[in-house]
Amino acid sequence: MGERRIGRAAFLSVVGAGGIGLLFGDRITSALHAPIADAGSIVPNAIKDVFPTGWRIYAINPPWPTFDPADYRLEITGHVRKPVTLTWPEVSALPAVSQTNTFHCVTGWTVSNVHWRGVRLQTLWDMVEPLPSARYANFVSMERGYVDTLSMKQTILPGVMLAHTMQGRPLSRAHGSPMRLVIPEMYGYKNVKWLHRIELVPQLEPGFWEQNGYDVDAWVGRSNGY
Amino acid sequence: MPGSAARTGTERGRPRPVYVRRFWPEERSLHWLLAVTFVILLATGLILYLPAFAELAANRRLWKSLHLGAAIAFWAGLVVLVASDTGGRLRTTASEVDRFDEDDLRWMRWAVTRRGDEPPQGRFNAGQKLNTAVVFGLMLVFSVSGLLMYLQETDAAVRGRTSAILVHDVATWIAVPLVAGHLYLVLVNPSTRHSLRGMVLGTVRRDWARRHHPKWDADD
Repeated sequence: MGERRIGRAAFLSVVGAGGIGLLFGDRITSALHAPIADAGSIVPNAIKDVFPTGWRIYAINPPWPTFDPADYRLEITGHVRKPVTLTWPEVSALPAVSQTNTFHCVTGWTVSNVHWRGVRLQTLWDMVEPLPSARYANFVSMERGYVDTLSMKQTILPGVMLAHTMQGRPLSRAHGSPMRLVIPEMYGYKNVKWLHRIELVPQLEPGFWEQNGYDVDAWVGRSNGY
Repeated sequence: MPGSAARTGTERGRPRPVYVRRFWPEERSLHWLLAVTFVILLATGLILYLPAFAELAANRRLWKSLHLGAAIAFWAGLVVLVASDTGGRLRTTASEVDRFDEDDLRWMRWAVTRRGDEPPQGRFNAGQKLNTAVVFGLMLVFSVSGLLMYLQETDAAVRGRTSAILVHDVATWIAVPLVAGHLYLVLVNPSTRHSLRGMVLGTVRRDWARRHHPKWDADD
């Protein structure tokens, strides 16, 4: 009776498919992105939240906050000489700069060539004039319960900004409209989305994820067990 | 090949089951090495992967160490088992898993259509052979993609060069249903769960073997 070596064929097929996936997987999924997204739209959000597919939008209190330009205010308070509350037209009129960075999520995925445009924190500090006692800045999201913090020194590192534009378009709701913190040297959870208040404080107040065990200083490649 | 009677006889006129050896200690050791390390890898991997475990995952150093440790333990254990397999049992097993005869091919068609009688099978049925080959292929894919993920975490220059995360994810999506089906067959399904005894103690009932693996039993 003839025998076929199907066992090794199956083994080699799996290994071969894995090798092709390693070399071309991202390119293949990029090409299939639209059809996959269309197919994925029939999957309930509850299931999507449990099983992430590729990189995903995290939210601690879904649904995501909604931005209304008429009502939006950016408040900068705490240990400052001149607290301010800016309307959206006033925020939009602030001097803006552009930059391109790689975005790193603490769960391991990375998105390269993310183009941001936004306002340097120093621009805001010049307006509010932080007191000498202001050592940390708490960035408060419109998403209930989400807050994160940077030291004042970290807020003026190169590349740190409040971004209102991504890939040449106004920030989408999923990505934190109308403004989000960007600090490319740290993992994504520091990049507070749907930002509406900045509070300068004298002492460290750990943010949402820090209270759940993540590192306060979330340096890419040098924190959270990496 | 296997089949030495482990226990025979009667007790007070009641026939005692006759057991035949199905799995050698080398095979059982390899199976349990894979099973234990896979469970650790899956559990720690899910903690690092699923958003529901994001708070647990804050202790990333611990879970990552366990995950990497289990992967290293698997390959180190495999090397030790193969190196100490002087009798060539594992090589024989690999050869059995590799070779599919006409009945195996018919069995695979039967497994899908369920038409007609189940084609007779040897010590491993075709599904078990295929599962073994695919799982070991997946272990290699997991290991290579996992090593690349480890390297890209430690060296930014490696990031984005390969689709390691995607491949690791897809391999998980394939492996989990395979393992779930395997667990169903050995723990739940009444007609097949006796096979667990073979992997724990090495022996199975002769009548069960004749029913499920008649070609192997015929070689006894």
